[in-house]
Amino acid sequence: MSEWSITELMAVVMAREFRDGEIVVMGAVPALPMAACRLARATHAPRLEFIVGGSGTVSPEPPSLPLGSCGGDLAPAATTLPLPDVVLLEGRGDAFDVFCAGGLQIDAHGNCNLICVGSWDRPKLRGPGTVGLPFLPNTRRSILYTQSHSPRTLVERVDFVSGPGHPAGPDEARPYRKEGPSLVVTPLATFDFSSEGRMRIRTVHPGVRHDEVLAATGFEPAPGPEPGETPPPTDEELAILRSFDPAGILRR
Amino acid sequence: MRVLEAEAAVAEYYTPGSTLGVGGMQLAAAPMTLVWEVVRRRIPVGRLVTSPSASIQADLLIAAGLVSEILSPYVGFEYLGLAPAYRRAVESGDLRVLEIDEGSLTHALWAGGGGIPFVPAPPGLDLTDIPEVDPEMFRRVTDPFTGEERWAVASLRPDTVFLACAVADEAGNVAFDRFPYTDRLMALAARRVVVQVEELVPAGALSDRAPGATLPAFLVDAVVLAPGGCRPTGFPGRYAPDDEALGAYLAAARDPERLAGYLAEHGGGGER
Repeated sequence: MSEWSITELMAVVMAREFRDGEIVVMGAVPALPMAACRLARATHAPRLEFIVGGSGTVSPEPPSLPLGSCGGDLAPAATTLPLPDVVLLEGRGDAFDVFCAGGLQIDAHGNCNLICVGSWDRPKLRGPGTVGLPFLPNTRRSILYTQSHSPRTLVERVDFVSGPGHPAGPDEARPYRKEGPSLVVTPLATFDFSSEGRMRIRTVHPGVRHDEVLAATGFEPAPGPEPGETPPPTDEELAILRSFDPAGILRR
Repeated sequence: MRVLEAEAAVAEYYTPGSTLGVGGMQLAAAPMTLVWEVVRRRIPVGRLVTSPSASIQADLLIAAGLVSEILSPYVGFEYLGLAPAYRRAVESGDLRVLEIDEGSLTHALWAGGGGIPFVPAPPGLDLTDIPEVDPEMFRRVTDPFTGEERWAVASLRPDTVFLACAVADEAGNVAFDRFPYTDRLMALAARRVVVQVEELVPAGALSDRAPGATLPAFLVDAVVLAPGGCRPTGFPGRYAPDDEALGAYLAAARDPERLAGYLAEHGGGGER
């Protein structure tokens, strides 16, 4: 088995989660979800389409993964949806299937926070702002990811809900909410959600111990089936990933 | 519409203290020639409105201490990290934030452009904490058709917007290249529009060009020729973001002692 980076493993995990025909949206710093989408298209999901952030490019196939989401390097792309149109369709609730997102904080119910740590009016840390995360519940489901698995990032309750996850209580008042977050991918593990909408460990990455995951997580995950090991990338998956990542963005 | 130098365009079409909108998305198409003019002349900005994702065009104005309040869904430097001056100003309580998300901002601009007094928000926003902290932009309304309670976002008309676009003809008709982002929408919503362009061509020369000029001169007050004027951000299809120059800004902006030197060095007229 070839050597691979944690970010490559994360891309492979996300790719396997996509289903054929899904429309995926993503935001800033798109290299990881974009790599996952391209891998999925090259394997089991040839009819998947993805929209890259503020550029509105639809399924661009640049020779190298971009660092940014709005640059001229997002080419070629067969079509581009102007950003106001992407925003319009995000409100509708049936245009897009999967939203890939993250946050300064992600909580036990999959709520995301890109706005502040601490109180809103006098934050300890002011984040960049929420951009499109309020639309998270409007896609059929969401896949959350973070490059930082720590008790500061994965918290019991976000300090500010800027991207809604699963409801903490009864769901009757929120009828339009769809599947919600289905998967969380970190450098240590993957999580899914219990029937009560609470995060639980699904798999632990190769070389990582279960207690290390618990120690790095700022809440008690819901009990679930005994977590297995995250299946590592196959040689074929790695070869495909690297075919559009010659600069090794995912190996930095 | 007039073709002007940056200094004249800013002096004539931006009233100090009024609401200024700045275009550009993430690290692309920031109207830096116009923004530097505001910094150089130390013109106070009463309210800064950004596109859905701003970077140095907002952070620099904040770093220079010119902004009283900001309405923005995002100020950051994407893969280069957080916005230092924005962060510091909000954390210290020196900058008032009108919290908003990309969807509400976009709908507010459409409403402003169309004379629509407010827009009931689509689903999603109601499950966040955003509208509760921003009563200036968000109020509760009752849907007259269903009786349901919803959030509404106020319409938005910036007094002036600064945009960076690809090409204008000498009559002032403006063409975007591949990505209009929300810049075109900001122009529709604004009372006054100043556009810096990479290229200026004779009147009528855009008529054969796909997709052509989609911002007619009658919606534009001033055009400023500023090739390379988005640096250190990029202009898609023309030049990439200059990560080294952005890094130099970020290092200066993180350190208040170095910031004054940076502003003096880069604001002296060499930034074109």
